[in-house]
Amino acid sequence: MSLTLGQRTASWLNAVGRSVWRIGWPVTDKDRAAVMISSIFLHIHPARVSRHALRPTYTFALGLITGILFLVLSVTGLALMLYYVPYPPESYRSMKDLAFVVTFGIVLRNMHRWSAHAMVVMVFLHMCRVFWTGSYKAPRQFNWVVGVMLLILTLALSFTGYLLPWDQLAFWAITVGTNIAAYAPLVGDRLKFLLLGGHVIGPMTLLRFYVLHCVMLPLAMLMLISLHVWRVRKDGLSGADVQAMPAPAEEAAGVFPASTKTHGLMALSRRPRASVEARDPNDEVFAWPHLLFRELLVTLAVIVVLHVLSLVFMAPLEEMADPTRTPNPAKAPWYFLGLQELVHYSALVGGVIVPTLIVVALVILPYVYRGRAGAGRWFAPERRVANTIFTALVIISVGLTIIGTLFRGPNWAWVWPWN
Amino acid sequence: MTEDRIDLQRRRVFAVGCFGIGAATAGFLAATFRFLVPNVLYEPSRRFDVGSPAQFPSGSVTFLPDRRLYVFNSADGFFAISSLCTHLGCNVKHIGQGFECPCHGSRFDENGRVVQGPAPQPLAWYAISLSPRAQLIVDQDQIVGPEFRLRA
Repeated sequence: MSLTLGQRTASWLNAVGRSVWRIGWPVTDKDRAAVMISSIFLHIHPARVSRHALRPTYTFALGLITGILFLVLSVTGLALMLYYVPYPPESYRSMKDLAFVVTFGIVLRNMHRWSAHAMVVMVFLHMCRVFWTGSYKAPRQFNWVVGVMLLILTLALSFTGYLLPWDQLAFWAITVGTNIAAYAPLVGDRLKFLLLGGHVIGPMTLLRFYVLHCVMLPLAMLMLISLHVWRVRKDGLSGADVQAMPAPAEEAAGVFPASTKTHGLMALSRRPRASVEARDPNDEVFAWPHLLFRELLVTLAVIVVLHVLSLVFMAPLEEMADPTRTPNPAKAPWYFLGLQELVHYSALVGGVIVPTLIVVALVILPYVYRGRAGAGRWFAPERRVANTIFTALVIISVGLTIIGTLFRGPNWAWVWPWN
Repeated sequence: MTEDRIDLQRRRVFAVGCFGIGAATAGFLAATFRFLVPNVLYEPSRRFDVGSPAQFPSGSVTFLPDRRLYVFNSADGFFAISSLCTHLGCNVKHIGQGFECPCHGSRFDENGRVVQGPAPQPLAWYAISLSPRAQLIVDQDQIVGPEFRLRA
């Protein structure tokens, strides 16, 4: 029996396909679970996930959206690097080129800009969500600390990127921002000198910020995101051991063996050996399709929103940086305007004491406030005091940022935004 | 040589190796840190010529935007005050008898002392000297007090 050429080719292609995808297109739950485990890209997820964590109103997909934005920023950033020259005044001219000469340049730049702002917002919202649901509690304390580092990295990435257009907005925002950093006791001036690569913001500063923005900080971010996601998988749910449902009757009767699966392997710190599996198999669904489908929808939604934003709203570009002419008022990037508002009253308080206290409080929070009650639920009544204090702080910081952004005019005097 | 002895030696070699790698890493980090501190600054010199005394009429206040500097020629001599606000580095404006910062509303008196606002320190006074070619030289690395005057 001889095969036709067509059949031989099909069989050959099939063999090639099998060498790439060990499991073909999965049609059964078992195959889909196997794909989830064996694919390097999909094994970020477990094969099965709990219904509880899958509810959209539990996480609002804020962490996922942040991750998607990081991906969008990496891709658009790489593309922009092909036209951007990190040396003044060419840096400013390359922004003009992106806006008026390069095909789709302005769309890419807008998308990079708006994604960066959105990422700051999403990281902040994600942190609020994790606090309000008590999801930083044991065994996830260290992952909260990793999250705080990611918040700081996100701000650092946004801040270093802010200088690159080399316009008046960039120059004076970085002037104000680096001068706030210089208020750090003992090391402040040296830190500023090291950051600027000199006494004033110049070509050396631009090059330093460029390298930090395009290579060093994204690499650090990638490593920490990996750790963050890994720990979510390995640590298990906050309060899982407290809220674990009583063993089902079958288990007690010895029909099914009790779950012994824990995820303590090679994590960076020890964790209580609580089971990460839901006791009730009915509480779990397969990650493919239930989780993947939701992720696909969120990804599409984010991409659509980013495209609309980038086509409708232009990223700002003022005239070229001029160290001799201070715009009035000179403002830091918006996410630091809460601090600048405080700095307006006292540089030491706003520039040093408050930011240090915020970071220290966030880092030690899960280790100091160790009550396990109310983890895994929104605004659990058991956590009323903690939630009230945190919410008050959130309102204060958002309020200060809004005041600094909208209600401050020339000479940092109070203005009404509608005037 | 017994098994134990070999084992002990192996551990010692391992400990020395670990110590060596640790020391090398520390040295490398120190060198990297030093590497980040620039030795040559490609920025305007901190000591510069602002022109001949004749360019500054008696009783005048001259703003040199490129140098971010005010040069005064008062009755008792020349002096130079930085226009860099000590708060967050904006350019202060000379208004009336004093200075005002547009960023956060700091006000300074005619000697650069803080009168109002968040600025933590007075404006910097720089030494002025006369070069052999009779030019005024300002040195930003030499901070002086408000009693400083260069008699022409």
